[in-house]
Amino acid sequence: MQRRMTWKEFLFILPLLLLVLIFSLYPILSSFVYTLFDYQTNNQTKNALYTGATLNASLYAEDCEYLAHYLKKDLATAEAADQPTLTALMETLVAQKELYANSKQTLSLSAASEQEISALIEQIRDTVTSLAARYPDFRVVTKGPQLLNEMETCLVSSNYVGLANYARLTADTRFGQAVGNTFEFTVISVAVELVLGMALALIMNKAMRGIGLVRTTALIPWAIPTAVSALIWCYLYDGTSGVVAALFTRLGLIASPELLLTTQGGTMFSAILADVWKTTPYMALLLLAGLQVIDRGLYESSAIDGAGAVRTFTSITLPLLKPSMLVALLFRTLDAFRVYDLIAVLTKGTPETLSIYAYKMMIGQSNYGYGSVIVVAMFVLVALIAFVYVKVLGAELIRE
Amino acid sequence: MTTLHAVKPANINRNRRLGHTLMWVLIACFIAINLFPFLWVLVTSFKPGSEIYGASTAFRVIALNPTVSNYTTVVHKGILHSVANSLLVSGFTTAYVVLVASMSAYILARCHFRGKNALMALILGISMFPQMIIVGPIFNMFYQLKLLNSYWVAMAYSTITLPSAVWIMVAHFKRIPLSVEEAAKIDGCSQWQTLWRVIFPMAAPGVFTTAIMTFIAAWNEYLLTYTLNAEKEYQTVPVAINALRTQFSILWGEITAATILVVIPTLAIVLLFQKQIVSGITSGAVKE
Repeated sequence: MQRRMTWKEFLFILPLLLLVLIFSLYPILSSFVYTLFDYQTNNQTKNALYTGATLNASLYAEDCEYLAHYLKKDLATAEAADQPTLTALMETLVAQKELYANSKQTLSLSAASEQEISALIEQIRDTVTSLAARYPDFRVVTKGPQLLNEMETCLVSSNYVGLANYARLTADTRFGQAVGNTFEFTVISVAVELVLGMALALIMNKAMRGIGLVRTTALIPWAIPTAVSALIWCYLYDGTSGVVAALFTRLGLIASPELLLTTQGGTMFSAILADVWKTTPYMALLLLAGLQVIDRGLYESSAIDGAGAVRTFTSITLPLLKPSMLVALLFRTLDAFRVYDLIAVLTKGTPETLSIYAYKMMIGQSNYGYGSVIVVAMFVLVALIAFVYVKVLGAELIRE
Repeated sequence: MTTLHAVKPANINRNRRLGHTLMWVLIACFIAINLFPFLWVLVTSFKPGSEIYGASTAFRVIALNPTVSNYTTVVHKGILHSVANSLLVSGFTTAYVVLVASMSAYILARCHFRGKNALMALILGISMFPQMIIVGPIFNMFYQLKLLNSYWVAMAYSTITLPSAVWIMVAHFKRIPLSVEEAAKIDGCSQWQTLWRVIFPMAAPGVFTTAIMTFIAAWNEYLLTYTLNAEKEYQTVPVAINALRTQFSILWGEITAATILVVIPTLAIVLLFQKQIVSGITSGAVKE
């Protein structure tokens, strides 16, 4: 008795659709659009997405009027040879003023008008320069340049750059470095977590007494905010008062305690260790859930057949655990790949992963255009990783 | 293959006992490593500043001159206000996410409609993509709507909490047999009565698990609050505690005391609801 969809059912999922649309789909699409623009919120001419040129019409008209006014005054003392050019220029300016005086504040311009205006500004600038030597007292000479500069700011050209941001990405060594750091962090921490998590899950699956205590303590690192646990580790790694840094130094693992948070290798090691501490229990719980659905009878018959512990593990546990393991690995890999909180708090951004780099670009430097390209690249990489997990490893699952 | 049978029974017993001991040692190690950071933070929070930084006293387990001044300082600096902010924001997020998720999950579990699989895949995809991709546009959206520095940040939390909430709820609704609904209908229940009196009470454990998972995810959120709420007035715990770390000095005494204060609610939730949390973590991860 599968129900069909009527308007009543639709009302039930409408809130979900709206929330997903407003807070997930719209932002994702926006990020993709941002990548096509030179979008910088701290630059007045680039702080929005301008597909065409715009003109601050009222200010531009005002400037034209002033220039025309000055030219008219200056005409009285100009030589006869200069009169025709200056008069023509004055008339053009008056015409421009008439044209734009009554339009709205920010006016979208056609490509032709944009060219016309910038050519006009250029022409006046040339005229002013040529007049300067002969008539240093002319008002257009003394006051003109300032007005011309203002007119130029009125004209905001399009910041649509097509795929230029993507082209910049391919040549960006800092981006390459960030990709490398992200993969290094992800691969090492997930691999270590898988091995330790597996060991822990096997132990928890065996031990009867005390399992409640193990499970409770396993949940604690997972449950506290990453930003808080990163701060705790920041204290433990501290060069002067950190107990873990002191311990590692005494054990001879590092030459001196402050190396953990100050060197590239040290920060990578520290970040991975903190991540392993926080998420190994989570991994273990996922694997434990997978272990618990394996039929106990299989272990009994393998024991009767005389299989040792290693053989049982490779022939029974691993193959049957594979589905849960893949799901756990997929979740953890994607989680590690987007790591931000941990590194942002622990070392304020070293090693620089993709999330850190994107955030510095976007929020730190207000460069939304280029920052979005980094984010979109992350998005594509995440999709690729998920694809590999689901298709390549998933297909193998179905075949068995 | 054949050598396996050569092991004498006495050896097997000894091996087994050895294995057991090894296992308990490993478990003890695991618990110790898990808890050590918290215990050390607890130790430090009662030390005066001079002992935290002094070379001879930094690694003492018991403070020479124990003090609660770190706690009084952070309370004075308003850490409890951020705890209240966190409770408010996470509570509100939990309320609307659980409501929206259970309504839609019921339909997703029970109805057939075009694009249902696409919708489920989309929701799963959202839970996987890098959260960073929404930060810029969300910041712009909140800036234009003049919602920066407000509790409305809770609405943006839907991206990180709603997908898993929907998935957990769908799994729970699917476990309720259709025959229950049919029986209710035969007994004369209307569609609404079936839903409110029969289905939702049966789904209560799932709702509870979803609520706890959502609350923890919202409580732990850092990136969005850090970006959208620069003002201290609206900062939640993870952001506020990091603001204690100034550019020039790191007052570990205050930070550890604040950590202890803000971790208490999390510890309480873990101790009280660990069964639901484990079920929340593993639902969907195990193929049934």
